[in-house]
Amino acid sequence: MAAQQSQGIQTLLEAEKEAAKIVQQARQYRVQKLKDARTEATKEIEEYKKAKEQEFKSFEASHAGTTSNAQTAVDKETEVKLQEITDSYNKNKDAVVTKLLDRVVLVKPELHRNLKKVGA
Amino acid sequence: MASRALNDDEVLNEMNKMVAFIKQEALEKAREIRVKADEEFAIEKAKLVKQEQQAIDAQYDKKRKGAEVAQKIAQSTLTNKSRLKLLHRREEHLQDLFSTARNSVASLAQKEDKYVEFLQGEIVQAFLQMLEPSATIHSRKSDVEVVKKAAGEAAKQYKEISGRDIEFDVEGTLSDDSAGGVTLISGSRRITLDNTLDERLRLLEDRMLPEIRKDLFGANENRKFYT
Repeated sequence: MAAQQSQGIQTLLEAEKEAAKIVQQARQYRVQKLKDARTEATKEIEEYKKAKEQEFKSFEASHAGTTSNAQTAVDKETEVKLQEITDSYNKNKDAVVTKLLDRVVLVKPELHRNLKKVGA
Repeated sequence: MASRALNDDEVLNEMNKMVAFIKQEALEKAREIRVKADEEFAIEKAKLVKQEQQAIDAQYDKKRKGAEVAQKIAQSTLTNKSRLKLLHRREEHLQDLFSTARNSVASLAQKEDKYVEFLQGEIVQAFLQMLEPSATIHSRKSDVEVVKKAAGEAAKQYKEISGRDIEFDVEGTLSDDSAGGVTLISGSRRITLDNTLDERLRLLEDRMLPEIRKDLFGANENRKFYT
């Protein structure tokens, strides 16, 4: 009778052990899952970063293009304006030189406005 | 509850029922744990990813803004360089004009009558500027005679305009390299008045700059205020 009882208890104890194992496995699964979360997140982040880098590089490439275009456009415009300046100068310089020289000898002697003529 | 002791079969039965029960409970608990674990996994992963994504976005936004600013700076530098080139070209032309004028000034002293008339006028102007009782007139050696005559007339004109008298004498001290005209020094030798053609031209170069600019290159389109 006692032997039967202890056998029964044994069986129950073994069942408990099995149960504990099952729960333990589940807990391990949980721990592993949390680790996985980290690694998978890192992977996704890496991919995102790569995609962003691509995007940025293409943006840079396009803007480098516009910069050199702007340079040539500005240079061309400047050339045109420079030529305008020189043409205008050549057209008007003689007149201006004449004007200058005329004024060099132009004299208008006046008494200072605060003074009065001294009575003769 | 049983009122009699259980027989062997019934014991076994109960045993199995209990074992099954224990196992069932364990399985349910394990399932709960797994389900929760999956949920937490998803949440945690999403949180981490979102966090980092935000950081990365901010980073690239900054980079992009930096690139835009750099581009604006480059554009502005281009415009500035262009403007400087234009100004430089104008300045070159201006200097060219002035040196042409300077070279031609000497010819003004060639035309006899005009030169004498000019000398007289400018000596009167000098007298009126100085308002001194006496002065020494310095001229080119070659001009001394002409200047003496002109100065005599000038003194008369001076008396007429201002009612004052002035004594003068003429010295031929200016070099013949000078274009012409005279320099006056007051009797007490404290006041000097440079009225040579070179000096007059120089003053004009300076004073006439706005007018010259307009004549040579047209009015400034960007200018809004004129006194």
